[in-house]
Amino acid sequence: MRFRTDLRNVRTFSKLTAALSSLEKIAWVRLDDDTVRFTVIPDTGSQVWASLSVPLIFDNYHIQSAEPNNTINLELPLQPLLRALKSAIGSSYANLRLTKKDGLPMLSMTIHTMTRDSGGEARGRKAPGFGANSGEAEEDHFTSQSFAPEPLELTMKREREKIITQDIPVRVLHPDTVETIMQPKVREPDVHIQLPPLLQLKAISDRFTKLALTTSTNSRYSTPKLVLQANMHGSLRLSLHTDTLSITSTWTGLENPELDESQLPVPIEEHPSTIFKRAGPDRWATVRVDGRDWSRVLSVGRLEGRVIACFCDEHALILYVYVPHLDGGDQGREERGVGGEREDVVTVIKGHDLDGVMVTDGATRTTG
Amino acid sequence: MVILNFTLSEEGVAVLHDALACLFKFSDDVCLEARRDKSLLTIFRARHNSGDQSREKNSAIESCDVAIDDGLGRKSRLVARVSFRNGITASHSLPFEVKPPMHAKFNPDEACNRWAISSRTLRQLMDHFGPGIELLDINTDNDTRVVNFTCFTEKVQKRGAVNNEEVLKKPLHTNIAVEMDEFDHVNVEDKLHIIISVKDFRAILQHAQLISGELTTCYSNPGRPMKLSYSADGIVCEFILMTVGEKDALSQKHKNLRANTASKIPRPELDASSHRASSVANSSHQNSHEVASAPVATPTSMPAPPQLRTSARPRNSAFEIRPQPIPPHSAATAQSESLFVSQGDEDEQWEPVNPEGEDEENARLEWNATNDPNPSSLRIGSYLSRSADPQEMASDILEPGLEPTQRLSQVRRFGLFSP
Repeated sequence: MRFRTDLRNVRTFSKLTAALSSLEKIAWVRLDDDTVRFTVIPDTGSQVWASLSVPLIFDNYHIQSAEPNNTINLELPLQPLLRALKSAIGSSYANLRLTKKDGLPMLSMTIHTMTRDSGGEARGRKAPGFGANSGEAEEDHFTSQSFAPEPLELTMKREREKIITQDIPVRVLHPDTVETIMQPKVREPDVHIQLPPLLQLKAISDRFTKLALTTSTNSRYSTPKLVLQANMHGSLRLSLHTDTLSITSTWTGLENPELDESQLPVPIEEHPSTIFKRAGPDRWATVRVDGRDWSRVLSVGRLEGRVIACFCDEHALILYVYVPHLDGGDQGREERGVGGEREDVVTVIKGHDLDGVMVTDGATRTTG
Repeated sequence: MVILNFTLSEEGVAVLHDALACLFKFSDDVCLEARRDKSLLTIFRARHNSGDQSREKNSAIESCDVAIDDGLGRKSRLVARVSFRNGITASHSLPFEVKPPMHAKFNPDEACNRWAISSRTLRQLMDHFGPGIELLDINTDNDTRVVNFTCFTEKVQKRGAVNNEEVLKKPLHTNIAVEMDEFDHVNVEDKLHIIISVKDFRAILQHAQLISGELTTCYSNPGRPMKLSYSADGIVCEFILMTVGEKDALSQKHKNLRANTASKIPRPELDASSHRASSVANSSHQNSHEVASAPVATPTSMPAPPQLRTSARPRNSAFEIRPQPIPPHSAATAQSESLFVSQGDEDEQWEPVNPEGEDEENARLEWNATNDPNPSSLRIGSYLSRSADPQEMASDILEPGLEPTQRLSQVRRFGLFSP
């Protein structure tokens, strides 16, 4: 079993990890020839199935195992991974490999990096602007200054690349143990709608949740429920109802993306969303969500992707987050609508009015 | 009777404040020792961080006059009179206690291992260490010409980490290799492992990078003291840390055992508190105002940790002056986060709503909150013990008033309200 890869798009990887770690401490990671999949399934709360194409975050990727597609299943603590990725942000090179230390499996991240501003220190020991973080700039400096008369200049300490090794403890999972874990299959949604900017939605949701906590008498033990509603006419409603107050925020003019007919199990005319659309703007699909869990879920907004919410009325809410390829130049991929081929998509599944989600049998649907 | 008088300039106040903020991380109490021509004038003990609370106020300080009043039949008082540029004068009168001087023993002839490097570089490297670590192993490798900084914690080693679930709870293991060429000089025995407390090291670096470009260390063997020093503009800062004896920690891992009588005493409890590197900070000012004040952390009245008292380490007796350590793992985590792991604004906005957590966040920021009249209540340790009380937690949560969740600029950006 071998796994070794260089890292790219560290910032995206780090944001994904941060979003996952707000829901659960430990993730199940499935690596194979084509896909990297991160799954978190908390005991209570929402599940995330994040399926990324290898080139989004990895480069020079080598994987080898006895399983079909060279699959490797790992269990991985998210906080240490996040901490390690923070070190890798801004580095000149970083790689990740599966290794063993003292007989224990480790995901070892090796990072070549400079400190941020080891130059411009007090006492002017170093020339201004020197040693920021570009190796080339330093060399230029040296060549241009090689005849400088100041002997001090010649004895200057050059900023060197540091090599940081971050060892993240992992467990290698046997294929049998993950065989039974399936992405829940949810019925075709009644309403699908592109959410407003998640930071805004989160700020308002969090305010509602805090209000509910302060107005309710037994706030410590009951978690406030927010009501989320959407229709097929571009509107989204967020409401809070307690004994003493009732507030609602409404967004209008949102997009209900077109469905790709070829991906649907039923003709478009019979699709639940078509029926909802025909019923007019007063036909709302409703789900109730736990305020705190919802706040954690909205943390996926870090990824700055386009987020489509799929409402199964009184049943479940699924968020699809289309992760933009920041420096890959492959912007097209995120533009595909619901039902399209989902390559780099983070899927968050929320059950309606439940602490957990309903997990039904069914095949994984990483590609719709 | 006034036994000591001195005046600090605005800059002098700032420098003293920074020094006290650093010492506060080691102890609540500080010992001031003033000398003239090397003759001891007085030594006393005071709640240090209220002495310079004036600095926290925004008004610019013109000068700070300090008078120390003591004598038979008089109350021992340190009176700091701060004159602000806006004409206001504030006087603070602090009680103190006269104590005999106490200095850490350090033999420079014995400490032949030394290195020096930019304190800023070193401090930034410490950012790469994750939470939950307690000890820092500094070692050199002459073959690859690097100095390694490795962090680890003993707790997990003890645990054995064989259980399936436990494996994943191990903290991040971080090693940072720095080329020897980046050091101003390195003269260290090859493969020598010296281990100190991460928390202390971070506290020192935080101050060192404010004061000076370069941090110099010298040390001998594990279990013997290590001196860290830096100086600039008349400020000389020296910290003497006890290093972890080899038997204490990594003897099984590193075979080069050294004779060390102290480490031969078996100690059942080898958690971090038993060998938290005791430290004595020693910093002196000699600026143009003829001020010589030397804060030395000597909280002698505090009970020594029981492990230290019972362990027979005669040569290290100078180090038994450290106050009861804060519960190690939680406090270390909290502190390390407040000190170095800075989250950008962007990240914070995405944190889940967590009313309970908010108070904790505030407490973490209070290391330098010198406005509070009772600084000891700000200690993280006391916070942690306090927050264990569920009733108090509940009252924290039910505080009236809601913080705004959005900045007005954000709202405007989304066009919710007309500008």
